[in-house]
This record gives sequence, C-alpha cells and structure tokens, in this order.
Amino acid sequence: MSIMDYNGGSVLAMKGKNCVAIASDLRLGNQAMTVAMNFEKVFPVTDCLYLGLAGLASDVITLRERFRYRVNMYTIKEERQIEPATFAQLVSSTLYEKRFGPYFVEPVIAGISKKTGEPFIAATDVIGCLNFAKDFVVCGTASDKLFGVAEGLWEPDLEPEDLFETISQTLMNAVDRDAFSGWGAIVHVITPEKVITRTLKARMD
Amino acid sequence: MADGHQHPIEHRFNPYAENGGTVLAIAGADFAVIAGDTRQTEGYSIQTRYAPKVFKLTDRAVLAVNGFQADCSEFVKRVMQRIEWYRHAHSKQMPLKAIARMIQTMLYGKRFFPYYTYNILGGIEEDGTGAVYSFDPVGSYEREACRAAGAASSLIQPFLDNQIYFKNQTPAPGAAPFVPGNLPIDVVLPIVIDSFTSATERHIEVGDGLEMFVVVAKGRDVSQLASLNAEEIPATNPGEERVFIVRRELKKD
Repeated sequence: MSIMDYNGGSVLAMKGKNCVAIASDLRLGNQAMTVAMNFEKVFPVTDCLYLGLAGLASDVITLRERFRYRVNMYTIKEERQIEPATFAQLVSSTLYEKRFGPYFVEPVIAGISKKTGEPFIAATDVIGCLNFAKDFVVCGTASDKLFGVAEGLWEPDLEPEDLFETISQTLMNAVDRDAFSGWGAIVHVITPEKVITRTLKARMD
Repeated sequence: MADGHQHPIEHRFNPYAENGGTVLAIAGADFAVIAGDTRQTEGYSIQTRYAPKVFKLTDRAVLAVNGFQADCSEFVKRVMQRIEWYRHAHSKQMPLKAIARMIQTMLYGKRFFPYYTYNILGGIEEDGTGAVYSFDPVGSYEREACRAAGAASSLIQPFLDNQIYFKNQTPAPGAAPFVPGNLPIDVVLPIVIDSFTSATERHIEVGDGLEMFVVVAKGRDVSQLASLNAEEIPATNPGEERVFIVRRELKKD
C-alpha cells in the first residue's frame, strides 16, 4: 500500500463564472480504521484564496504550517496580499525543494485574483509540477472517481449556487465509492464579495 | 551474481493479459441498454480500434464482456453454444434469468483457473421487465438497475450511482420519490453516451468507438430509436422482443 493512501482523503476544486469552489471530505484514517471524522483538508490562505492538501496527514499539517509561515513572510515583506498565481508558484517551489525526499501531499489551490477578479484553480503533484486547469482539479484516494463524476457533471460558467451543487454532488458520489474517503464533507464557494462555507450532510459509512 | 550469492532465476508464464476497455448496462422498465467501447489495448499500445465486446445472445439477451480478450471470446463462444443446445433441447429461447444462472455455473466451473472476464448481462425478463445482471470473474452475480465494469468502471460507476440510482439526491418537497430502473430511453441513452465520453477524456484505455445495444420488450413503441440512427438486428422470433444497435464515434487520441 502506498504512503499516499495511508490516511485517506480527497480534495476537489472547480471553476465557475466569476467564482471558484474547493471541497474536501472529513475522514482521517489509519489504513482501514477511521480515526477522526473532522479532519478538514482545506485551509484559508487569504480571504479569497484557499489551499487543499490531500495525502499523508502529518505532511498535510506540516505543509499547512509551512505555507502559513511563508505567506505571512510574503505579506510582511511585500505589504500586500499574495495573488493566487503567485501562491501557486510558492507551493510549487516549496515542494520541489524536497525533490528527492518529497512531502507525500498533493495540493489543490483555488482562489480569485484581487487584481483582475479572475477565478483561479491549480493542482500539483508531490514534487510541485503545476497543473493549471480551466475546469476542475482533483486529488486524493478517490481521484479516479472524482475525475469520472466531475467530467460528467461539470459545465462552463456555473453561477455560485449551481457550482456549489455541482462540486457537492461530485464529491459525495465519488467518496461514497471510496473506502478511504468520506465521513462528511465541507465545501467553500469563493466569490469576489464573500466566501460561502457549508458542511454537507453526507453518508457516514 | 551481483550480490555474490547463487540463486536460481525463475521464469514463469503468465496466462493472463488485461486488454482495457469498459462496458456498462442500464435497465429500464421495459428495455435494457448494454454498451461497450471498441478499443482494445495491451499496455500503452492500441491493438485495434474496433474489437466488439457486446454480443447478442438471443432475441432478449445481450452480453457485455470485458477483461482478458482471449478469455472473453472463448467464454462468449461457449455461452452461445450452450444457448443453442438449450434451444434444441427445449424448442424455445433460453430465458434471461436462466442465462444468468448458467453463466454463474460456467464461471464457477473454472474457479481454480478462472476466465479473466467481467460479464454484464442485459435484456428482458419473462415478465417483460428490463434487467441487468452483473458478474465477477468467478460467477458471483446480482440483478441490478445498472452496472459499469472494466478499465474505467471506477470513473463511471459513481456517476451512474448519481444519475441512475439518484444517490445523494432528494426529491423536491411534495414530489414523487425517485425509483431506480424506471428512466425513459431518451434519458438513459444520453447518460450512456456522456459516461463513455467522460471516460474517454480521462482514461487512456477507453475510446475509438461506442456500441450501444438496446433490447426492447414485446410490443413496446420504438419510435424514439428511429431518430438515433438505431439499426435493428433481425430477430429469430419476429413479433417478440427486439434488439437494436446504436453506434457512436469516440475520441481516438
């Protein structure tokens, strides 16, 4: 069994019309045994930029703290908030620093640019190879299922409420077929004005 | 020896291969759709862009078979022969549930050297309802409303859970409850096509062509199939169940 599947969990981000959404399941496992049902894998970076981390739970926490530190340093030095595209490069270089002994985490980035108002999503592999998708990005133990459902449900230019429905249905139906993901879910829909955060009433088995 | 120790090198013949592709079947109230792509692969190579894996067995039964191609064709050959023997012995076509039980015994008969095949049987039951039976390689089987199998089953099955079984969906307040297996054919066929275009987009072993067999119950209106360029396969017993085939292109990259 791969180290990437040790704790389980999945993250997904989707682009809409002037909005983005990012969601994760809430399971933390130790192989087949579920340990916690409140392990969120999506973290705020700025007020309109979120980071999702799926993979080895200890590295999820390490990287969350590491990015918090590096984003704080950026904010102090530059005296401005970090842009999503800039943050994606920061994620990529942070992971590539550990090219020959990587963090076992696949990050997903979702945000809206403060400068242009453009929605932005990206994902990387464990060594920081960036994927700027124009539709959706997935990672985690249910990634193949997420690809299948997202490819079937997603369409361009979804409004925030429709994007919420699409990402929620994609995540729930994918994790319901994955033994290592599930046990609740959380969704963040980011618009230029506000962020809507909802925990979903999902299957708990 | 590199490690300085003498040890024999084992060579072992592997009698199985995995030839990619994907199949699915969906049951309706009085019809069943059984579909499969036509790409055949080995590793990263495409062996052929047209290798059918969905076969008409009788006027009311269609079998989709996926896994190791050599086992698939051998298994289908044997199933067809047993169905012919049944017709000669009993002077009637074998019922769907009887074919399903026969497939179980044939698969379990090779329990200790299995056919590496995932089978999905679709068609019309004796009571005129649409049915789907899915099997594992050693014959464990179940009647269901829908099933995906093969290389992209993990991509398609959760999508079907959502669209066919209405999983994670709630009817609007006051609306009728969702009942799986009752969708009309003009809803089911687009779901099948969307499933395969999605799988083609994200799975390298799926693509090239799509063959959808539609089995319709006796006396059912088939006007919806005319607009889809459906081609009828001539029946052995005219006036009973009918089998149509709808072909679509899939991406070839």
